[in-house]
Amino acid sequence: MKRITGLFWGVFLLFGLSWIGLVAYPYLTFAGLRQSKDEATGALSPQGVAGTATQGARVYAANGCFYCHSQYVRDKDEGTDIDRKWGTRRTVARDYMFDQQVFLGISRLGADLTNVGVRQTDPQWYYKLLYNPHSIGHEAVMPAYRWLFETRQIQGQPSVDAVKLGGVDAPPAGYEVVPTAEGKMLVEYLLSLKRNYPLPEAPEATE
Amino acid sequence: MSITSESSVTKVELSPIDRSVRTPVLLFFGSAVFWLVLASLFFLLSSSQIHKPDSWWTLPGIPWLSYGRVYPAFLNCFVYGWVATAGIALGLWLLSRFSAAPFRHPVLSIYGWGVWNIGLVSGIVCLLAGTTTGRPFLEFPPYAAFILFLGFAMVGLSAISIVWRRKPGALYISEWYLIGGFLWFAWMYSTANITLANPPVPGAAQPAINWWYAGGLFDLWLTPIALAAAFYLIPKIVERPIYSERLALMGFWGLALLGGWTGMTHIIGAPLPAWMITAGIVARVLMLIPVFAIAVNFHRTMKGSFEGLRDDYALRFISTGAMIYTVYAVEGSIVSLRSVAQFTQFTLVTQVHTQLGLIGFVSLILFGAVYYIVPRLLDRQWLFPNLVTTHFWFVVTGLGLLYFSLTIGGLIQGFGLADPQVPMIAMSDLLQPFLTIQNVGVLLLVIGNITFAIAFVLILLISAPAKQREVVVEESDKAPENSAAEVSVA
Repeated sequence: MKRITGLFWGVFLLFGLSWIGLVAYPYLTFAGLRQSKDEATGALSPQGVAGTATQGARVYAANGCFYCHSQYVRDKDEGTDIDRKWGTRRTVARDYMFDQQVFLGISRLGADLTNVGVRQTDPQWYYKLLYNPHSIGHEAVMPAYRWLFETRQIQGQPSVDAVKLGGVDAPPAGYEVVPTAEGKMLVEYLLSLKRNYPLPEAPEATE
Repeated sequence: MSITSESSVTKVELSPIDRSVRTPVLLFFGSAVFWLVLASLFFLLSSSQIHKPDSWWTLPGIPWLSYGRVYPAFLNCFVYGWVATAGIALGLWLLSRFSAAPFRHPVLSIYGWGVWNIGLVSGIVCLLAGTTTGRPFLEFPPYAAFILFLGFAMVGLSAISIVWRRKPGALYISEWYLIGGFLWFAWMYSTANITLANPPVPGAAQPAINWWYAGGLFDLWLTPIALAAAFYLIPKIVERPIYSERLALMGFWGLALLGGWTGMTHIIGAPLPAWMITAGIVARVLMLIPVFAIAVNFHRTMKGSFEGLRDDYALRFISTGAMIYTVYAVEGSIVSLRSVAQFTQFTLVTQVHTQLGLIGFVSLILFGAVYYIVPRLLDRQWLFPNLVTTHFWFVVTGLGLLYFSLTIGGLIQGFGLADPQVPMIAMSDLLQPFLTIQNVGVLLLVIGNITFAIAFVLILLISAPAKQREVVVEESDKAPENSAAEVSVA
């Protein structure tokens, strides 16, 4: 290669192709996505995450949950996600249209969380899991997230959020374990993960 | 006037070119070694945490040092702190050699070094504090990313100024890779950070851009760094010009065309148009063409000089790294195929594949480059050759244990994941023995890297005049600076 200008042009044009395909194109296409309107009920979906759950997404990121948990369901011919009951249909671009941070994830040391809010609706389940994963016999390689909780003396009435811990984890008498503000936000967020509304472009998988 | 004629005249003196780049190159190499040690410690901690999350020695309960923060701190320290920083040092050194003129803007690059390292420190501190964008390989929050980019722009400009004032004549292969790499990295890092900053582009476009960046980061920044070093140092050490420039051209343009697409193979089945993923898979498979072109070129250049692997430390590291590049690329193509990815996606197979590329391919070549360049810049020699041998065997053994345990464990995990009857909890138990072996492997790797850091500090501190100076000078007499030009004319 003799001419430096030739190198510059080649470097820009060849890489530019991928820039057009994977940066400009998705940006322009997905900016035009709209909610889907259910013919019968007039309900719009997806609704997006609202309130404290959006802040919970930040706690999810801060603690690196997405390094072991994914948030997308592959189609039936690309994996067994649907057989594992992680979702009833594949996820599509529209599912993520309101997300500030999209946590697709690349590892499944833990379960997929696309629809975890559908599978587990009790905040106590999440609190116990985060306080001590072994307490509900889950995820042996999952660490405990104790810093999302505090042990405090019961003042008058016990808190409604107090984690119902048993065995070795039970706090001493007169004390209770309650989630911190961050802990609550995270659980709000996880409870909000429900991508189970119908979308025309992703029909439910049939057996 | 060329460096070669000059170094034979002045014998023991450094060439003016080496003297002009010495400070920035040593600063970048020095901080790269620091980040490598830090990255290694994070790696050891995170691999222990995934193995024994509850044991006291994995420091449970400290949010700053929990797996979800230490693991990205390891990857970012390694990619930006070690590989990219050492790559910049290598780039400045190589580009000035080829320019055949002293480096005019060392001050700009030294300020750039400061800013780049401030960017790294602030980014890593943010990650440990829990401030992250939540996007793989782009975790640094926007302000840290901005500082990092500013530092890169300063060094990049001084590097471009070297190319600008270069002697006329054909560009050598290493220069293609370095010029390409510097421009591509500046382009993709700024694009990704701007589009994904607050407020980011609409939801589903984020992973497309994220993985466009991550694929490009490996194939168009880290890979060019390593290849630039290998294309310069292999012919230089075996004292024979590169076998074929035509093959080298094929390798370079192949990489330039395909490198921007390969990242999509990490998210097969993702909520993106199918053609994007397919383009990624096609690119990953076609990538075998440039990779084999490069491998054949290296092999043919080294042919007949394989005994050099025993005698020359630098060559041993570089050629092992170059061989691992082929393995890495072949495995990359295989695990990208939809039928294989069904099982390997989301498993430790893909995780350790990334580590194989980072450690086995890019780092080994960079280690060789440091072993080659630093004594020449300081006009000293490595004090204890045993440290270098120890480094090599610890890293290679550690990587081997890590790679094979996680690949086999990952395959078992993959078949488990694919069978809906196998509960998730059972998988963690199945993986335990493999996680134990990988933990030992990582420990060996870390010991090796610390040995390297000790050797590096010793050569900086203790002046042991090079006994084999005659040999060194003789070697640079046969520098491929000119022979390279001859090849390109041929």
